[in-house]
Amino acid sequence: MTIVECRNVKKIYRQGEVSVTALDGVDLSIVKGDFMALAGPSGSGKTTLLNMIGGLDSPDGGSILLNGQALEKMKPSQLADMRLHQVGFVFQSYNLIPVLSAVENVEFVMLLQGMPLQERRRKALAILDDVGLAGKYGRRPAELSGGQQQRVAVARAIVGAPAIVLADEPTANLDSASGKDLLKLMQEMNESKKVTFIFSTHDKMVMEYARRLTLIRDGRIVEDRRK
Amino acid sequence: MILKLAWRNIWRNRRRTAVILTAIVIGLWAMVFLSALMRGIADRMVKNAISTMTGHIKIYHAGYRNDPVIENRIENPGEIKNILQSLPAVRQFTSRIRVNAVAANARHSGGVTLVGIHPGREAGISFTGDAVTEGEYLKDEESQGILVGRALLEKYETRIGHKLVLMSRDASGEIASRAFRIRGIYDAELESTERQFVFVNLAAAQEMLGVNGDVTEFSLLIDDYEEAAAVAASVGRRFDGDDLAVYSWKELLPLVVAVLKMYDGFILFWFAAVFIAIAFGLVNTILMAVFERIREFGLMRALGMKPSFVVAEVSAESFFLLFIGTVAGNLLGAASVAALSQRGIDLSAFAKGIEFAGMSRIIFPVLELGDILTADAAVLVLGMAVGLYPAIRAARFSPVEAMVHM
Amino acid sequence: MNFIMAWRNIWRHPRRSILTIAAIVFATMLLVFMLSWQFGAYDTMIDATVKIHTGHIQIQAQGYQDQRDMRKVVPDPNEIERILTSLRGVKSYTFRAEDFSLVSSENRTYGVLVIGIDPQKEPSVSTLEDMIRRGRFLEAGDRRSALAGEILADNLNSPVGGDLVLLGQGRDGSIAATVLTIKGIFNTGQDEFDRTMIHIPLEYFQELYNMRGAVHMAVVLCDSLTAVPAVKERIAGALSGIDSSLAVLDWKELNPGLVQAIQMDLVSGFIFYLILIIVVAFSIMNTFLMAVFERTREFGVMMSMGMGPGRLMGLLLMESLGITLIGVVIGTIAGAAVTWYFQIHGMVIPGAEEVARQFGLPERMFPQLSFLSIAVGAGIVLILTVLSALYPAFKVKGLKPVEALSAV
Repeated sequence: MTIVECRNVKKIYRQGEVSVTALDGVDLSIVKGDFMALAGPSGSGKTTLLNMIGGLDSPDGGSILLNGQALEKMKPSQLADMRLHQVGFVFQSYNLIPVLSAVENVEFVMLLQGMPLQERRRKALAILDDVGLAGKYGRRPAELSGGQQQRVAVARAIVGAPAIVLADEPTANLDSASGKDLLKLMQEMNESKKVTFIFSTHDKMVMEYARRLTLIRDGRIVEDRRK
Repeated sequence: MILKLAWRNIWRNRRRTAVILTAIVIGLWAMVFLSALMRGIADRMVKNAISTMTGHIKIYHAGYRNDPVIENRIENPGEIKNILQSLPAVRQFTSRIRVNAVAANARHSGGVTLVGIHPGREAGISFTGDAVTEGEYLKDEESQGILVGRALLEKYETRIGHKLVLMSRDASGEIASRAFRIRGIYDAELESTERQFVFVNLAAAQEMLGVNGDVTEFSLLIDDYEEAAAVAASVGRRFDGDDLAVYSWKELLPLVVAVLKMYDGFILFWFAAVFIAIAFGLVNTILMAVFERIREFGLMRALGMKPSFVVAEVSAESFFLLFIGTVAGNLLGAASVAALSQRGIDLSAFAKGIEFAGMSRIIFPVLELGDILTADAAVLVLGMAVGLYPAIRAARFSPVEAMVHM
Repeated sequence: MNFIMAWRNIWRHPRRSILTIAAIVFATMLLVFMLSWQFGAYDTMIDATVKIHTGHIQIQAQGYQDQRDMRKVVPDPNEIERILTSLRGVKSYTFRAEDFSLVSSENRTYGVLVIGIDPQKEPSVSTLEDMIRRGRFLEAGDRRSALAGEILADNLNSPVGGDLVLLGQGRDGSIAATVLTIKGIFNTGQDEFDRTMIHIPLEYFQELYNMRGAVHMAVVLCDSLTAVPAVKERIAGALSGIDSSLAVLDWKELNPGLVQAIQMDLVSGFIFYLILIIVVAFSIMNTFLMAVFERTREFGVMMSMGMGPGRLMGLLLMESLGITLIGVVIGTIAGAAVTWYFQIHGMVIPGAEEVARQFGLPERMFPQLSFLSIAVGAGIVLILTVLSALYPAFKVKGLKPVEALSAV
């Protein structure tokens, strides 16, 4: 089942006189259960493509379908709603909400989805257990290590049962051991909960974990293969 | 160097600087403009009271002030006149007879103050000179004419050309009564003035009261009314031994003086309130600017900069904000005052209320340099003082702490 | 959870929030205190004017208020008395008659307002009896007796016990002449009254001025100021069937100057407060602005999680409302406490005694804490502060997720 369908997606950034082509006609389809690495050197358009798929940014040409719906035709509030229910994000620099504890950060998504308090607390605790943070529920982001923060971020991204989780260089700020742990966790979630993951990276080690490897260079997809 | 750094720093976050400048400008404007408005009210009140038969300085018979009757009159006006003419400090003067009287016509009777004047000499000293808005002013030789206020005219349901009978005790203790003909109607700032004073020729009053050539008061104008007390004292020395008393307007109008003092207090209170309102915003803004740049300060310190330099730099930022705000606030305040200086603020909608409060119908704001300087000095000096708190806070960042902070 | 987040965000920068709250506390305190002060002064002024002189309501002949013509009378006070005794809300009443006359002592003559008062009923309506400084108040059975204002008595050179010759004109145009003895001298503090009035027994007044039993006004005191409109209506209703030549006037109509002076003071007061609060609002707007701008990235994350701009604005407004509410609540409590202290102990404004006296205010003044002064004071601050928080919150609405995420 196809979740994401990119057709001839273009994006051009203009800065005064200079214009930079970030995406130059990308065609890509992502199916349910994919565990996909989007690899390429920095500036190749990885982040731009992820942002487009997540509805954070809009293409200058072409079309992106998420679960059959064209994102470029949606209004900002519809996009917000779509992100809430269909997309989970994991960022390079964790980006947890600093005033909320681990469990509250996870609950926040479900709060936005309108889930009742008891249910969302139960789910949040369960998923924190799944990502290996049992007993650290009440800690604020500043009291957690980078690896632990990123685990919370993963828990937060998958707890709302999204169609797809987009992770932008999730291991770039972590040491290699924590990075491996995180990848194993994502892999496990992909297998046990059938969560679809796309993560961008330029790290060979990370690419090894992927089951599908897509290479992007100068805004074009140059290679796309499944292992 | 410090100044250049500070100047550039305040423009790093234009929006923030714009907001705090707005607060300071509105505050300064409010200080300047509202104090000018209050001074305007007070100024009118003083001028009005002075022109309502008071003058800057008055000379009475020693007993007249406590017992204003014809017995307490000045019996040697000629000598006094000669002395007053020889005094350079006295710009202008006139003499009057002023007694309580009863005015009556067929419909009404009531108490009034009968004032006998030299019609030609009143102009400039009291309001009567140019207040006649209907009919005509008194002529020097006429003995029948009387000027009344518009409110009195309405109360007595009479009009120009009609008779008004005045009764008062004469020098011999008998009730003297004499009929006058209404020649002109005057309008005054206050209705109570219009109801109180009726004006006749001095000679007519002297004849009616049987006081050949005598008067009850001299009213003097000097160049600067603030100097009245000193001039009154020196005039008084010239009449030592005579049975006379010399008063400045401040002694004659204690209520006006009390109101002025109250206004002084109120203006200071207003300055304080506005300053405090500004101060919170200033400290917060500078504090934010400082905390945003913790790393920068740390770097400066690491480069070997002294804490005093940091204090000076941050203080210079407060100074620029305060200085720009103060200058703009002053200009805006002065502009508002200038805009209103032609037409004033018309309070006729509250006619009865301003009468009650003894104010005038139209307020013209008056800028007083003293107020502006007080406001500016308070904001600049006290503003710099409260600005020291964030400055010292910034100087206390240790290089290590600052570099670690994110 | 929105609430918890808002609360924690407020305390992320305690120093900044405390300064902002302090500014709001200051403004609220000042307003609650000043408004209580103003309302207290108005109450005192109204009370003094009503009690010294006009009462809450007067019944007069039509047109008497504008043209004090001695022939415009209330012809049958007994009839009015019957109405007033049984009327709900009427606390007390009295009758008065007045006319302008000449009064002479041995060697002084002044024109004065002669007021006939009922020695027994008058003290229940006015404070005249308490204002007697020398001698005594009028008593039942007094005939050729007078109370004179202190300034007038001084002007006349007449002490208590002195004789005054009165010369006036009766209701029918006849000469009214008599000799009165000063029994008491009063001082109301208001020079206008103390210089121009004498009071004599009403019955003797009616005889002297040939009133044929008539009076010029019935003066009514109601249970409270708030009861006045209802009582006025009832009196007017009761009179309408009897005598259409009579008018019922309340204290506002009797003292138009006082009412307008209060209105003017209120208006000018509000202008001052408004300007002050605007300065405060701009002072604290920066806090709200910063709270938004330094968290742009955080908002980007929240938006990527599917938080719509509306909810984001809601969160920010909740934060500013939180700060405002804390400030307003503390400010109201502190302002009320300060006001309450002065309400008990009173406060002397140095230099203002003389001015206050002329408006019927005592030297020591007492602010009047009321629901109105608290609600208005806190309300103005709350509204203007929340308005100042709207601008930063609206800024968030136009935020684009990608830009927000890439903000530092």
